[in-house]
Amino acid sequence: MLSYIARRLVIAIPTLILVSIFVFVLQKLLPGDPALVLAGEERDPAVLEFIREKYRLNDPILYQYFSWMKAMLQGDLGISLRTNLPVTELIADKLPVTIQLAVMAMIIAFAIGIPAGILSAVRKGTAIDYIANFVALSGLSIPNFWLGIMLIMLVSVHLGWLPASGYESPFVDPLKSLQTMIMPAFVLGTALAATLMRHTRSAMLGVLKADYVRTARAKGLLENVVILKHAFRNALLPIVTLSALLFGELLAGAVLTEQIFTIPGFGKLIVDAVFTRDYAVVQGVVMCTAAGFILMNLIADVLYFLLNPRMRSSL
Amino acid sequence: MPTEAPDNAPQNAPVLEVQDLSLRFKGAPANIVDGLSFAVRPGETLCIVGESGCGKSVTALSLMGLLPRGVARVMSGTAIFGGQDLLALPQRALADLRGDRISMIFQEPMTSLNPSYRIGDQIAEIVLRHRPVTRTQARARAQEMLERVKIPAASNRLDDYPHELSGGMRQRVMIAMALANDPVLLIADEPTTALDVTIQAQIIDLIEDLQKESGTALIMITHDLGVVAEIADRVCVMYAGRAVEEGPVAAIFDDPQHPYTIGLMSSVPSVGPRSGRLATIGGMVPAIDNMPDGCRFAPRCPFAGPRCDIAPPLAELGPSHRAACHYAPLESAFAEAAG
Ligand SMILES: Nc1ncnc2c1ncn2[C@@H]1O[C@H](COP(=O)(O)OP(=O)(O)OP(=O)(O)O)[C@@H](O)[C@H]1O
Ligand code: SF4
Ligand SMILES: [Mg+2]
Repeated sequence: MLSYIARRLVIAIPTLILVSIFVFVLQKLLPGDPALVLAGEERDPAVLEFIREKYRLNDPILYQYFSWMKAMLQGDLGISLRTNLPVTELIADKLPVTIQLAVMAMIIAFAIGIPAGILSAVRKGTAIDYIANFVALSGLSIPNFWLGIMLIMLVSVHLGWLPASGYESPFVDPLKSLQTMIMPAFVLGTALAATLMRHTRSAMLGVLKADYVRTARAKGLLENVVILKHAFRNALLPIVTLSALLFGELLAGAVLTEQIFTIPGFGKLIVDAVFTRDYAVVQGVVMCTAAGFILMNLIADVLYFLLNPRMRSSL
Repeated sequence: MPTEAPDNAPQNAPVLEVQDLSLRFKGAPANIVDGLSFAVRPGETLCIVGESGCGKSVTALSLMGLLPRGVARVMSGTAIFGGQDLLALPQRALADLRGDRISMIFQEPMTSLNPSYRIGDQIAEIVLRHRPVTRTQARARAQEMLERVKIPAASNRLDDYPHELSGGMRQRVMIAMALANDPVLLIADEPTTALDVTIQAQIIDLIEDLQKESGTALIMITHDLGVVAEIADRVCVMYAGRAVEEGPVAAIFDDPQHPYTIGLMSSVPSVGPRSGRLATIGGMVPAIDNMPDGCRFAPRCPFAGPRCDIAPPLAELGPSHRAACHYAPLESAFAEAAG
């Protein structure tokens, strides 16, 4: 197991290097001169030159790349052009917000998607199945931003139940934190629930046909035991893998949703950075996201192993 | 107690008596099992034989209440077990019987155990479901059952996962599970078809031994006439969803009366060890959308005549020997023809 994880981590290194090259090159290809942005109204060539010198924008490209990599390995992602703060600090600031949002969204997605998927598989072809599928399809086709705006209009503006925007750390005021996050988490969670429901349904349909499910019934086990213990347990593998990937996506930041609810998370950070050509921040955030994604992939694989006795004993 | 075996019933009353069982798949124009009747007495072995697709498995599944839901349906019939009609019992009551009073083992040992759980736990589970025992007691019972099905080093095997066992071993685990609660009736649906030939005989011997030991009644569904000769007390020959002949094993082998049975037996020597699969008979089993209205064997029957447009009843020929042919017993038919 440990050697497997180690192997996977080693494989992750070239992936990360590729991502870094990609990010770096893309950045350089973007139109616009960051020095111009920084200088603002100032058009004095001397000032521009000073800025370029200061941020090493004049160095050869390869040199820029390697010095960036070197710094990154030392935990230094550079300084934000816009805020003058270290990028690591910005990320450390925003990451917990995004993680909280992702976790809450995931909980909502599980709570809705998995029971609905199981139910519609067990009741395949009945009204319940059709309704669940219809709702899921609607959930997939309703854009997040639209649902978000509708929720704000209804719940915040019209009913006045929840704040429309803002953020509070759960360590400062847990209740207020929950109140500000519940709507965006719901918007993200329901969309994922639809995906999760459809995957759960198809995985369950597969295992419900299995001979061991018939054996479970032949043992006289009650239907809920047959379905949850014998069928669902074997449908877990694809669901777990999918969940880890969905969570990785959530960590990348829900740009639109964070924007609508003005949540100071990863999504907002990267949007602001792109619009202001804040190179260091964009690069840092993308690298961080890629690492998070690779990590979630690894976790998915590890869970896959832990859940599968056949794989487990082959190690 | 509704779930108890018929203790106070007369000694020779059947454990299970199936009458006029008809099953149909959704949208099919005819019954896949049609008017099937048979009975099993305590401790008795009834072999159900017949070509592939004649409805043996669906019959067994219908008795267990395990027909695929919404796909197959019971059209008529009763199956009296312990004074109750299995076909009319509510799901919950039937689940109380399953794995306790009636057990079943299946054709597919490789896929019939849950890959995610240890075999000891899978056996203990059936005990815990039906008996007021602790986990420790259930586990002890699981080990005892593994020993009874002759799995070597049983105590070390309890924590194995199914994939760590061979097909033959897995079928032994299935048998251990099925017998863990000392059922009154065991239904074995071609338990050896998927196994190596050498293993087949071992498994059949094991089932035979365990059945003698426990006095369980056994319905053995098989293709293998060697198995029939070895373990059957009575035989029910099925053709296209109907019983065409039923009787004591000696009568079926030595004095078959239905033309289909005669065809089956033609390749089997009547003395000495019997072995081999069912003989092939010219022609094919009619498809479900092409079932003759009368005798379903007529298209392949060398004796078919005008009377065969009407389905023949299962008529008594001798002591508990019955056949469904207008010309049975054949002696009288020949006499008729000669006279
Ligand atoms: N789900 C289903 N839908 C429609 N027809 C089915 C279904 N399952 C089985 N059948 C049909 O029912 C018939 C009886 O099947 P069954 O499995 O009982 O045969 P069998 O006698 O057990 O054969 P075998 O010896 O091959 O196991 C077959 O002809 C099969 O095609
Ligand atoms: S009833 Fe007729 S067709 Fe059917 S088995 Fe007898 S002789 Fe053959
Ligand atoms: Mg079968």
